[in-house]
Amino acid sequence: MNRFKVVRADTCISCCLCESLCPYGVHRRVEGHTRILPPDDRKCIGPACEANDFFCVANCPTNSLSLRESDNFKSLGDPRWTADMILATWHQAETGAPLPLDHPANEGRSGGGFDELRLVLPEKTPRYDPDDMSTSMELNRRGTGERIRTSVPFYGGGMSFGSISVHTMLARVVAARKWDTFVSTGEGGYPKLLVPYSDSIITQIATGLFGVREETIQRSRIIEFKYAQGAKPGLGGHLLGDKNTPDVARMREAVPYTSLFSPFPFHSVYSVEDHKKHFDWALSINPKALLSAKVSTPNDVEMVAVGSYYAGAHIVHLDGGYGGTGAAPEIAKKNIAMPIEYAIPKVHRFLMAEGIRDEVTLVASGGIRTALDVAKAIALGADGVVTGTSELVALGCVRCGNCESGRGCPRGIATTDPELERQSTSDWGSSILDNLYSSWRAQWCELLARLEMSDISELVGRTDLLRYRQRPAKEVGE
Amino acid sequence: MKRTAKRVIESRSWVADTVQRPKTASAEAEGGCGVVGLASSVPIVGRHILSPLAQMHNRGNGKGGGIAVVGLSPEQMGVPKEILDDDYLLQVAYLKPIARRPLEDEMIRPFFEIHEEYEVETSTDEALLARLEVRPPAVRRYFCRVREDALEAFVKENGLEDLDRAKAEDEFVFQNSFRINHRYYASGDMQAFVMSHGRNMFVLKIVGYAEDVIAYYRLEELRAHIWIGHQRYPTKGRVWHPGGAHPFVGLDEALVHNGDFANYHSVTEYLAQRNIVPLFLTDTEISVLLFDLLSRTYEYPLECIIEALAPTTERDFELLPEYRRRKYRAIQAVHMHGSPDGPWFFIIGKNAVRERRLQLMGITDTSMLRPQVFALVDGDVQIGIVASEKQAVDSVLGSISEEMPSVPRYADKYWNARGGSHNYGGAFVFSLFSEEDGRGPMRLICTNKFGEAVSTPYRGWDRGEDARLARPGSGAAGDAAFVADIAHRKNAESSFRSFASSLASRPGDDISALFSRVVSYASESDSHRVEMVQLLTLMIDRVYPTGRLRPARITGLATEALEAVLRSSPRVEACKRSAHQLVDIANREALRAPDSPYDSLVVDCRDFPMEGEGGVSFVISKAKALGWNHVIAFATNGHRFIGCGLGPRSNGFRIDVHGSPGDYLASGVDGAEVRVHGNGQDQLGQIFSDGRLVVYGDVGQTFLYGGKGGEAFVMGSAAGRPLINAVGRPKVVINGTCLDYLAESFMAGNPLYGGGFAIVNGIAFDGTGRLVELPEAYPGGNLFSLASGGAIYIRDPRGQVGEDQLNGGRISRLTEADWNLMLPYLQENERLFGISLNDFLLKVDGVRRPPEEIYRKIEAVPLITLSGKTQMQDLGE
Repeated sequence: MNRFKVVRADTCISCCLCESLCPYGVHRRVEGHTRILPPDDRKCIGPACEANDFFCVANCPTNSLSLRESDNFKSLGDPRWTADMILATWHQAETGAPLPLDHPANEGRSGGGFDELRLVLPEKTPRYDPDDMSTSMELNRRGTGERIRTSVPFYGGGMSFGSISVHTMLARVVAARKWDTFVSTGEGGYPKLLVPYSDSIITQIATGLFGVREETIQRSRIIEFKYAQGAKPGLGGHLLGDKNTPDVARMREAVPYTSLFSPFPFHSVYSVEDHKKHFDWALSINPKALLSAKVSTPNDVEMVAVGSYYAGAHIVHLDGGYGGTGAAPEIAKKNIAMPIEYAIPKVHRFLMAEGIRDEVTLVASGGIRTALDVAKAIALGADGVVTGTSELVALGCVRCGNCESGRGCPRGIATTDPELERQSTSDWGSSILDNLYSSWRAQWCELLARLEMSDISELVGRTDLLRYRQRPAKEVGE
Repeated sequence: MKRTAKRVIESRSWVADTVQRPKTASAEAEGGCGVVGLASSVPIVGRHILSPLAQMHNRGNGKGGGIAVVGLSPEQMGVPKEILDDDYLLQVAYLKPIARRPLEDEMIRPFFEIHEEYEVETSTDEALLARLEVRPPAVRRYFCRVREDALEAFVKENGLEDLDRAKAEDEFVFQNSFRINHRYYASGDMQAFVMSHGRNMFVLKIVGYAEDVIAYYRLEELRAHIWIGHQRYPTKGRVWHPGGAHPFVGLDEALVHNGDFANYHSVTEYLAQRNIVPLFLTDTEISVLLFDLLSRTYEYPLECIIEALAPTTERDFELLPEYRRRKYRAIQAVHMHGSPDGPWFFIIGKNAVRERRLQLMGITDTSMLRPQVFALVDGDVQIGIVASEKQAVDSVLGSISEEMPSVPRYADKYWNARGGSHNYGGAFVFSLFSEEDGRGPMRLICTNKFGEAVSTPYRGWDRGEDARLARPGSGAAGDAAFVADIAHRKNAESSFRSFASSLASRPGDDISALFSRVVSYASESDSHRVEMVQLLTLMIDRVYPTGRLRPARITGLATEALEAVLRSSPRVEACKRSAHQLVDIANREALRAPDSPYDSLVVDCRDFPMEGEGGVSFVISKAKALGWNHVIAFATNGHRFIGCGLGPRSNGFRIDVHGSPGDYLASGVDGAEVRVHGNGQDQLGQIFSDGRLVVYGDVGQTFLYGGKGGEAFVMGSAAGRPLINAVGRPKVVINGTCLDYLAESFMAGNPLYGGGFAIVNGIAFDGTGRLVELPEAYPGGNLFSLASGGAIYIRDPRGQVGEDQLNGGRISRLTEADWNLMLPYLQENERLFGISLNDFLLKVDGVRRPPEEIYRKIEAVPLITLSGKTQMQDLGE
């Protein structure tokens, strides 16, 4: 996408002076053609060029060139996901190159959340070998059962078949497998195409129990119980009629084109001892599985976390309020859950005081957009994060927010419409995500090197490395 | 408000002044717990309450257990009867022994006349002490009255001259204990606290399991009329003091609680406005303080107290009689802010001193979010039980019946309560009182919120016959011809019919002889055992008239006989050629593939753990994997997850479950058939995909939650929320009804084109084994809410179901296509349960009617709020 718009007026005489001036290759004439091509403004560096001798607009003998911000760019993004950040993510996803740690696109302009936090990093980067750096996350920190390590400090969060296309699901899973990590199915089942990858899949059991069958529980190494979603606490999942296409309906065993609502909460779980029973049920079907409890962030989130631990959870997953696709109601996304940057240190410290922090894998989600957001979440006290929207952005999402309507997604990501889906393939998607992850890992390696660390777990709970932008004196997480 | 009530509240103003403002949330979050309460007309020894508490071990986590006892024996307590009746039984737990001297000198001796005092005896069992993470406190017991001068000063100081002297004394005790707790516990270093101070009752609690309380304080042989036990499941980890454990006391009552308030803050504010401040910061404490305020200070009758705690709302409120509505409206106007919101269930044991009654009550929240079951036993020994799980009831009765054979193994009546219901109020009270002015033996009556008596369904049985049946092997010969005819007939169905039709005229001795013959005959050969298992199963499953005999006794005897017969099966490692092969906890490793596909594996569940990889469910799924096609699991007692883990497409596999199986039975089944020969508990058939589930009794909460298909037949009723979020094509027959929230968010397509449906018959067996229509086909206020597919066929010939019970559905006329769809299921229902289609279901007042006049169809209507597109347009986007 072009950030700037270079306009060539009809008065141009194709003298091609601009072609000879521009070092970026915006202007080009094909050998043998009389007229110069329209400007390739994706390569233009914008008004910053004014200072240069070779600035095309100033040099044009017929004054035919003008420069302005592109309309597309202006309409892209929002304070949380700025246009810069979206473009940077696309760039990372296409090239796999890391974004410099001081690049402004690492942060948004929301004025809150992770944008309000700054990591204090030494200027100098010592020499380091990325192969010596560990960015892995242990998913089972209890003494018993299968030990599972991911090579990156994240796994893919639950987005169901129905909410996103099967290509998108497959792309995420293929990329996850390459990186020894996982992707949660979300509520609503397990399309056949994913079965060969079940070692990299987390089966989600959500309040509607859509698509949950014994075989889906037995297949997975990790089972995630979705109690609540930070984007809409107090609401279950919902899939409006338009997106409930026949394929989706078959998976959920529902009637096509009716709206599907999951209740809130689990009507079989009204207490922590019900919660343990619920876990035990899953274990009676698959005794080897690791268990994850996905909860939102109410005021007493630390009690919820400790309760989940005692009920047998290996992973406690805190879902804060900044996440959610366009399908989650705005009013819920912005106003209900406790901000995740408060919830993480609260839970981390409480678990420390209880003496059980070492036995829990604490992961956070909800508005984690960039590699630096991940690092900040870890410094606040999480072991890792759960991603969602950033992957969709990498795949081309422009954050238009029409996810809930069946033919609303212009990029064919959050849709199950057979025509729209054709815009992407899972092979392309998985290479895009692979690039994004490579880029992220390179960023973490540099960050660790600067901090003279060699393992990302050393960063856990280092709130001393974080500063509030507005209130530098206040300690983060208090 | 009465002037005296106002004065009493004013007299507590020092409380609000001394104690800091309450916190906004309870400091110790906790969830559900295991609770059991028992009231008996004959004193019961403590060891009988051990087994249900051990059964509910998994409802606690060892961080708190407690016992309350009401109605003690003077001999055991070491005081004369008058002292026991009249004195306050003050029990102080000294967490730090050094606190005793100053506490006594400052808070007890100056104000009380002490008639007896001693240390509560404790166990020295090394194993027990090693098991307890935290050593329980030393507890000292004082039998005391307030000194005349101290009381006089208290009355004068607070202007309580108009208050009844005895009530003033109560208030003094209450405030004095608060002072002790504040000074020695809450204000800092937790040295000591008052466990209880009521008359003829006490509370003991520890950090540990409730059964450890009984063992540690040596309560096994203590006799009492009312027992309450509580397994606590606090979520906060390092609990080291027992102050937070349940029960909590008001004055003469102890309360345990299963659940969690959502409005702790609001209730504490409400109490703070009345000068009551909690010290232990759990929602149970504020519950009992609330109860005490309503009962002792405001002197409300019980009905009004229950209404203040669990207000009647919505449709139920509208259905109340006018005078009650007026009264309740007034109560709600004043006390709504103090009524606990969220999932809760209280069990309260009370010594109602002024009414000369001992009471045990269970109160459920209006939304019915916690599991609960009530049970009643009639006869020479009358027992009322309240518990979180039915198996806890059976477990306590099993234990008592061993000591007192006249008590049957099963209760005469079991039921669940619908919170805030207009017809009984969702709360029940067992009251013990003695006729002849306190000297005669105790009698027990059960009443509902409105004070109406609740009795067992059949009371025509003869106590003498029952006593003879209760003592098996009394040598009675019985009628040999009758016994032989039933036992040797070679056809279980026909034997059963003959048994059921002749039972009414048979004396107990014949039946005794029959059961012993059945057991001995079964041991003779394989085929005999198969016949007898079939016969006994029918006797347990069906409901039939029992004449002079007690129905619960027959079921109990048949169950005992069945267990004996099945236990006599050859063990799986010993014999390869047998129709039944036995596995129990000892030989479960020896389980191997069957020799013949027709053999049945018999699993004796008695000693298996409730859950986990050593549990019954894993034995069954292993048997399935090894190639067994039929498993009989018997003597279950709360065992969970039976039928889970069988894997996909388990068609052709069948499980028969006897006893009291636990939660999540058959959850996830995809093809197999599971039969429950008795009541099922909560969460049966979650995500049930295919296959068949037959329950010869009632089912608990969230039956078939998220179900996807298969068939289910329930002989009795369902508790709350059956079929919630079910999709696909489940086909269900419920012969009784459901408490409320039937088929919420049902999404099972169009039943006429392969979708799912539920048939609700709204009928029940009465005490004499006859079928009757229930007073209401569907009592709840929420039917088929927000459903987008499927249908409910409800037997409602009197047109009782109204649009006001629906939220998104509509009532329409039954078509021929509907009837053709239902018919095979109703025929199967007849075959399974003996509920006749032509002779009963299709008749109204004895007259045959066409199906469309009897059944009504409730189907989904497209709702604007459920369709995304319309919603978007409405928002103008």
